[in-house]
Amino acid sequence: MLRSLLKELVEAHGVTGFEHEAAKVVEKYFLPYSDEIKIDKMGSLYAIKKGKADNPKKIMLAAHMDEIGLMVKKIDDKGFIQFTNVGGVDQRTLLTQEVIIHGKKDLFGVIGSKPPHILEASEREKSVKMEDMLIDVGLPKEEVEKYVSIGDSITIRRKLLNLQNDMVAGKALDDRAGVAVMYECLKELSHMKHDCDVYAVATVQEEVGYRGAIPATFEISPDIGIAIDVGFGSTPELPKDETADLGKGPCIGFGANIHPKVYERLVKVAKEYNIPYQQDIYPGATGTDAWGMQVTRGGVSTGLISIPLRYMHTSVETVQISDIKNAGKLLAYFIVSLNGEDLEEMLCY
Amino acid sequence: MINKDLLKRLLETFGPSGNEEAIREVIREEIKGYADEIKVDALGNLIAVKKGNGKKIMVASHMDEIGIMVTNIDDNGFIRFTNIGGVSPYTALYQRVMFADGTMGVVGVEKIDNMKDLTLSKMFIDIGAYSKEEAMKKVNVGDVACFYAPFVQDGDYIMSKALDDRIGCYVAIEALKALKNSPNEVYFVFTVQEEVGLRGAKTAAYGVDPDMGIALDVTLTGDTPKAKTMEVKMGKGTAIKIKDNSVLAHPTVKKLMIETAQENNIPYQLEILEGGGTDSGAIHLTKSGVPSGVISVPCRYVHSPSEMVSVKDVENSIQLLVKVLEK
Repeated sequence: MLRSLLKELVEAHGVTGFEHEAAKVVEKYFLPYSDEIKIDKMGSLYAIKKGKADNPKKIMLAAHMDEIGLMVKKIDDKGFIQFTNVGGVDQRTLLTQEVIIHGKKDLFGVIGSKPPHILEASEREKSVKMEDMLIDVGLPKEEVEKYVSIGDSITIRRKLLNLQNDMVAGKALDDRAGVAVMYECLKELSHMKHDCDVYAVATVQEEVGYRGAIPATFEISPDIGIAIDVGFGSTPELPKDETADLGKGPCIGFGANIHPKVYERLVKVAKEYNIPYQQDIYPGATGTDAWGMQVTRGGVSTGLISIPLRYMHTSVETVQISDIKNAGKLLAYFIVSLNGEDLEEMLCY
Repeated sequence: MINKDLLKRLLETFGPSGNEEAIREVIREEIKGYADEIKVDALGNLIAVKKGNGKKIMVASHMDEIGIMVTNIDDNGFIRFTNIGGVSPYTALYQRVMFADGTMGVVGVEKIDNMKDLTLSKMFIDIGAYSKEEAMKKVNVGDVACFYAPFVQDGDYIMSKALDDRIGCYVAIEALKALKNSPNEVYFVFTVQEEVGLRGAKTAAYGVDPDMGIALDVTLTGDTPKAKTMEVKMGKGTAIKIKDNSVLAHPTVKKLMIETAQENNIPYQLEILEGGGTDSGAIHLTKSGVPSGVISVPCRYVHSPSEMVSVKDVENSIQLLVKVLEK
């Protein structure tokens, strides 16, 4: 089930601001394990699982379902499409990609490139700028305009690829891998007893500044908020101290964005249940939903779990499935560990 | 018909971010009698309410403009300064600036060999004083000034400082005057401190707690020689925002604006602004979220003392806003 969820999630298109299709997949998979599903004004999806306590405290989980992508900026006289980015797209990764333009109907296109035969020597050394790239859908201007208008979203066409050793590669694993963690957590909780109400929130618009998490946190007003996002996975060229290994468990974040007691409890639970975990140190901003959640209303005790991911913000993002499973398990046991706990006492400094 | 007299007062009045007193009074005088209630909040936002039984709509246009603040005055009476909002050293050089009391100055620069090295820290304001003492009779550290450029209107174009965003204020004022039968409760908010991070709109939206937000601001154009690609052109209609760096327009608000423009044959353009933000950026993240959009007036040379807009675009913006509010 986890694999099929991941496949459907990653292959669904949902550029920041256009998360509708991804939300449908989330709803389908989360519904059997939730008491209620809600969509808020910004488009974030809440899967609510009620707790057993009389006056239940609220735990909010947040993983973002939006993905970085492109947007139609101009259709030129010959029908070629100029575009801009939504979120942190690396322009070096765009040349010769197959794309889908989500207009009145979906149109396939390719981002072309100048033949190497006629490149100037100086051009060979430089990366091409996004503003100089064009999408070719094979139609003249008048035809393109029937289907495409300024502001339409564009995604890269990419299926989830199974690599060896339980690894998968694809687009949008940042942060649909986090959404899959919430699915695993809800599934675990379905055969456990928990006091707290759990709000598993698939947020929108994280990639442009956690804009979905801010109003969602205000709306829910949780006692504890935990963001699930992706972190830099280790590859040979990256420094060891800034990365985490794939397959060695989820990272538990620590730093100014994270309430120390939430961190301590996550570590304690991981040790108690032999769940592998790694550490992730953030001296300041984490750039995740946790950063927005923490300063909502009177402040929220926040935690951060991240899944090690290689090649971030490309269409070949790579994660290991066992890390997702372990993160889901860790969160479920964390939530159950709060049974009978006076959170105010636990969370005071 | 453009109200030239009002435009002149709006555009030439002093009001860098944090110093909106004078411009607030100009607007307050102008809208007297047109709103059911007029108030000023703790940060200085001017809020005019047009009562109704329907949804609460917040319309925001910012009163503040970019400017400079005095940081130091040297022994010879030359004034060092820093920016308030997005001031480019290239557009500031040799411009005239005006302090709140009307004191005028010109922006000069130290000897530099390469114009690429131009920074505000190498520049100074000369008010014609020969000593520190003489300068300090008129100007003190912390004083602010706006750029000085008289308003010009001829044919279809308007040229002035502070069109960003007094032209938005103008659109709001004219819409407030024209609005007769709105089923909605409309809050016309003239915000402060937009140029330093959408700060007035943030608290105003919290206070108003609207169901929908509409910001009125200027946007850039792609119609000048070898400009960065952008589909918005001056004179080709009001601009309905798709995105900028602060907001992705809410689909329902965007649709409402586009459909209203089409139904009323109001020329419009779709706007993707690859930089900058507007009050909607703050409004839409207020409380549990506020569906928000933006009506923009295409403007050339934004953040210069000679910003330029088209009268037709301004009129179309007013018309679109009124029709949207009446829906």
